[in-house]
Amino acid sequence: MLIVMEWDWLNDHLRAVLNTLYYTPMGEFMRTSTWAWPTFESLHFIGMSLLAGTIVMFDLRLLGFARAVPVRALHRLIPFGIAGFLVNMLTGICFICATPDQYLFNAAFRWKVIFIVIAGLNVMFFYTRVFRRLEAFSAENVAPPLPARLVGGISLGAWIGVMSAGRLLTFFRP
Amino acid sequence: MDAFFSWVEGWPLGVWLREEPTIWAFPFVLILHTVGLAFLVGANVAIDFRALGGAPGVPLVSMRRYYRAMWAGFWVNAVSGVLLLIAYPTKALTNPLFYLKLLLIAVGLVLANAIRGYVFGGAVGAGATAPRRLRVLAAASLAIWAASITAGRLLAYTCTRLMVDASC
Repeated sequence: MLIVMEWDWLNDHLRAVLNTLYYTPMGEFMRTSTWAWPTFESLHFIGMSLLAGTIVMFDLRLLGFARAVPVRALHRLIPFGIAGFLVNMLTGICFICATPDQYLFNAAFRWKVIFIVIAGLNVMFFYTRVFRRLEAFSAENVAPPLPARLVGGISLGAWIGVMSAGRLLTFFRP
Repeated sequence: MDAFFSWVEGWPLGVWLREEPTIWAFPFVLILHTVGLAFLVGANVAIDFRALGGAPGVPLVSMRRYYRAMWAGFWVNAVSGVLLLIAYPTKALTNPLFYLKLLLIAVGLVLANAIRGYVFGGAVGAGATAPRRLRVLAAASLAIWAASITAGRLLAYTCTRLMVDASC
């Protein structure tokens, strides 16, 4: 049957990907070093805090919380959140290289990726539809328009989803 | 102390948290502790970054509502932290690093309160540079929160006893 054949094909390729990741120098280093994993985990949480301090706080402002904050000026903090996200991508890739099967066959990991993709699509919506109108509700006590609230709510929900799924990884290991 | 630990480990709440095979027991408390951390440290990061010169167009006083987010995060973590402690009292209380973590959090809160005086006092307007003392406080606050997070994360790797009759 075609479906079974395709599934086998996918499995073969997935196995090749797992092997490649597993034998990367980074994977080897993460498995053999005593302190690499705890150190990278701490960095992963610090990167998360950078993201929370900039992107999540910006989301709250988009939702209408802390309206006294001029939203256009607050946007200047976003690059620090992107830096935090990059730290987490790098440390995250190191975890996956160390034990790829623990992530690629993990339902919580799939949810985490889905939430990251939702957050990414939402960022695209923000910069195409909301960003140039930030000035309009930058003044104190102006209620943010619906698209801004929507973007803020989706981003906040997606990042809380990413954190929750990340925390659940250990409980869904294969 | 072991008598006390084994007494707490017998509490039905702790037993339920440890043994209930659902993500709504122990895993959910861990999720709360992580999201609470994001709000507590996140609100501190935003205010500290402004004090250090990021987003200079934001008047510091306009960020005062972020203290609500900070305290919401703090209380979520105080409650979820106590629940984690009830689930595994021996694990935390026999680890010296746990007391260091609590000390670091206490210092972080003292710093947040000192910075609060500047925020609510309207010290740094739009485009203004924060006074040197505030910048030192903000840098110290960032360092202390990073240290608290690291201490917390390392608890899992430095514990010697998981429960009264089980090693880590």
